[in-house]
Amino acid sequence: MSNEQARMKFFCDNDRCIECFGCTVACAEAHELPVGISRRKVITLFEGIEGKEYSTSISCMHCTDAPCERVCPVDCFYVREDGIVLHDKTKCIGCGYCLYACPFGAPQFPRDGAFGTKGAMDKCTMCAGGPEETNSPEERKLYGHNRIAEGKVPICAAVCATNALLVGDAEEVSAIYRKRVSTRGKGA
Amino acid sequence: MTNHFGDVVAHSKAMLVIGANSAAANPIGMKHFLQAKDRNNAQLIVVDPVFTKTAAKADHYLRIRTGTDVAFVYGLLHIIFANGWEDKDFIESRVYGMDEIKAEAKKWTPEVTADVTGIPASQIIQVATLLAKSKPMTVVWALGITQHSTGTSNTRILPILQLVLGNMGKKGGGCNIIRGHDNVQGSTDMCCLADSLPGYYGLAKGAWEYFAKSWGVDFKWLEDRFAAPEWMNAKGFSLAKWWQGVLQEEQTYSSSPIRALWVQGNGITSMSQTAKIQEALDKLDLLVIAEPFVNEAAVITSKKDNVYILPVATQFETEGSVTATNRSSQWRTKVVDPLYESKTDHDVMFEFAKKFGFYEQYTRAMTMAVKDRELAVVKNDFSWPDDACSEIGRTLKTIGLGGWTPDRLRKHQENWHMFDPLSLEGMGPMKGEYYGLPWPSWDAEHPGSPILYDTETPVNLGGMGFRNRFGLEHEGVSQLAADAVTVKGSNVKGGYPEITKENIEQVLGIQLTAAEKEKMGANWKVDHSGIIQEKCRKAGVAPYGNARARTIVWTFPDPIPLHREPLHSSRPDLVQKYPTYEDQKNNFRVDVKFISEQQAQEWVKDFPTMLVTLRVVNLSGAGMLERTSKYLSHITPEMFANIHPDLALQYGLRDGDMMWLHAPQGTKIKVKAQYSKTVTPDRIALPYNFAGVMQGVDMSENYPEGTRPYAIGESSNTITNYGFDIITQIPEFNAGLCRIEKA
Repeated sequence: MSNEQARMKFFCDNDRCIECFGCTVACAEAHELPVGISRRKVITLFEGIEGKEYSTSISCMHCTDAPCERVCPVDCFYVREDGIVLHDKTKCIGCGYCLYACPFGAPQFPRDGAFGTKGAMDKCTMCAGGPEETNSPEERKLYGHNRIAEGKVPICAAVCATNALLVGDAEEVSAIYRKRVSTRGKGA
Repeated sequence: MTNHFGDVVAHSKAMLVIGANSAAANPIGMKHFLQAKDRNNAQLIVVDPVFTKTAAKADHYLRIRTGTDVAFVYGLLHIIFANGWEDKDFIESRVYGMDEIKAEAKKWTPEVTADVTGIPASQIIQVATLLAKSKPMTVVWALGITQHSTGTSNTRILPILQLVLGNMGKKGGGCNIIRGHDNVQGSTDMCCLADSLPGYYGLAKGAWEYFAKSWGVDFKWLEDRFAAPEWMNAKGFSLAKWWQGVLQEEQTYSSSPIRALWVQGNGITSMSQTAKIQEALDKLDLLVIAEPFVNEAAVITSKKDNVYILPVATQFETEGSVTATNRSSQWRTKVVDPLYESKTDHDVMFEFAKKFGFYEQYTRAMTMAVKDRELAVVKNDFSWPDDACSEIGRTLKTIGLGGWTPDRLRKHQENWHMFDPLSLEGMGPMKGEYYGLPWPSWDAEHPGSPILYDTETPVNLGGMGFRNRFGLEHEGVSQLAADAVTVKGSNVKGGYPEITKENIEQVLGIQLTAAEKEKMGANWKVDHSGIIQEKCRKAGVAPYGNARARTIVWTFPDPIPLHREPLHSSRPDLVQKYPTYEDQKNNFRVDVKFISEQQAQEWVKDFPTMLVTLRVVNLSGAGMLERTSKYLSHITPEMFANIHPDLALQYGLRDGDMMWLHAPQGTKIKVKAQYSKTVTPDRIALPYNFAGVMQGVDMSENYPEGTRPYAIGESSNTITNYGFDIITQIPEFNAGLCRIEKA
């Protein structure tokens, strides 16, 4: 492990993802999300086309230079020291700028409410909660389960059946994937 | 499974996955195939009528026409034999009846095979070459192979392929048949079936006598439980066709029609002929359902009275062992006491037994143990689940459960971290044992057998030959393994028969004392004294023998597997050439139509589209559990059928339009057309995991208040065509026809 400050990242190995939806369902269950709020999505491209079809799991990628943070008019985003991008739902005005800025479609907005207004944005917290007191009922209500504070792996990667979805310090994630690639065909 | 998932990762160089969609039905299993690809450069070959998510990960995908698996494997064998790629030593020393297979394979040239299966000849040649040259190679299958009118032949031809290639009993080889639900292997081993006592003992008198003794009850008392003694040895109605016991439309053979049904732990709404099931449910006097979730058998019936739903606890509210797909036992701890008024499965059964007046006999074996080499009652009361586990272990010798003591299984659970996930070998204090003691684990010292039929490993360390199950000779040919096949470390050289009281002295070259002779059971399967196993351990011998695997089953309608067209075939020209069986009299107490159904008309004229049923990843079985989860339901909120746009547009169907699908038996379902290129225009594919809508009729109001799942829908099985396997009577879920109509 490097001595550098850890920077937390997700990576999905598309050779491994089988579109089982385990990550999305576990995420929704863990954070008790309303149906239709997809903090994490599984998508399949070229479905049914031999040799081309693949699936992948995608959520907030916790960008180093997060465009959502740049465009937010009320400055509700903040980036933790470990690189996890979080936001303050009590500040968010639901304008949707972040959704337009985000290249991954990560920000989610409630679909009910008067005239379908957006309401506070919701997105993947990498299971790290929000600005409220850690593991408090308020934090849980607004942001879901804070597993990172409990020393646990984010739920999506924890349940991944095929070890396609990796999460952790970027260097660790790339070390795992590097080993997977460089030992290809070398035996178990 | 002869081998196990970790073994595939560690050793397999190629994987032939046929009739299995692990990515949807067993994602954890799928991980191992992907790891084998990564680590061993193992080639993944997927054979399936639909381009599944498993196929999407394949190196070679072969799109097979439904119901032609036997033809496909003969096509492979043709090329293997033609090139001399078979394992001649293995066949010579460990197999009986290969000449007949060779003769049949000769007919299946790549061109003939291509015509029947729809797989291009060049691809058949390519894959046959790959399978023969990549050793060890493992064969993986699931319900796409078993669920056919020719299911038994399918499940025989694939092990024959492995015998030909010498991949049996080898690391990285074998037949890895994947179980799709929790503890399916365990419930099969306990024979929750209509044709056998637990442990595959069958229903013969000797088996009942053994169990009477094992349960500490009089044989006569057991016999008197039946309407007449002959029913004791007759198969019961099967899960596939029990409804005929109620409806009596086809000839049945029973002491009485079925009047009451008790369903516990079975999604019978996922069985084929759902419309018939509905009719039968309506006609029953009494329906009792015991489940944690509402079994939709209670919903699809319009029966108003005498339907009882008993709340049963989940696995988290009870303790005990379950058996994994690789024959490993896993102990589970209770997390919470049963919630509300629900009871555990066994408590429900105990309460029934009390009311029926046989609780004492029902539970007696749990107060028994072997003492001074004889089975006797040793205490007044039992403790659950330990004494049930001990009873199973000491009774089911056929599959070698002698080593499954509750103490050992608990220890394995508590020491998960001490086992290697790929070899299953224990480390540290667990050294010398394999995780979960995969059966056979002959006795309390035995480490379990991770790989079946491995003669390179001593019996006492998990090795063995093939079982001697079908006599010593057939048509003058010895059924025992050749002299060259000595199981490592065995005192007995070459093949040997299963061990009996009569032959033990001669086979093992030992002398028994008079006392031993007196206490010993007639053979290894019924020897409560344990003496036979003790002597076998000393000699390094497997009590079940060291014999040949046979390709010929002389008691079956097809002694060697033969291709037979599905009852509702998309190729009428081939029906003439490869007709199905004669109609069958009295299998599981009911007649079954074969040829008369196949030739009743040229089905494909009126029903031109092949019907393939499948499972979606978020719903299992009848889906009654998963559809109560809003998140799982959200993935597939309604029933659908995958249809190729070219086919859909022939019927004026746009993506998302509703359509009726009609079946030959006159049933129909209304489902959404979902454009998909995973299917070709000659077939459609649809899931069977929905219930609650029957032939266009919404049955929602039959759900008890507050229990309607988030998603309900038609089941594909309402239109699954008539058809049943000639031996097991499993329904033909996977090869049929339908007609599309825009709704």
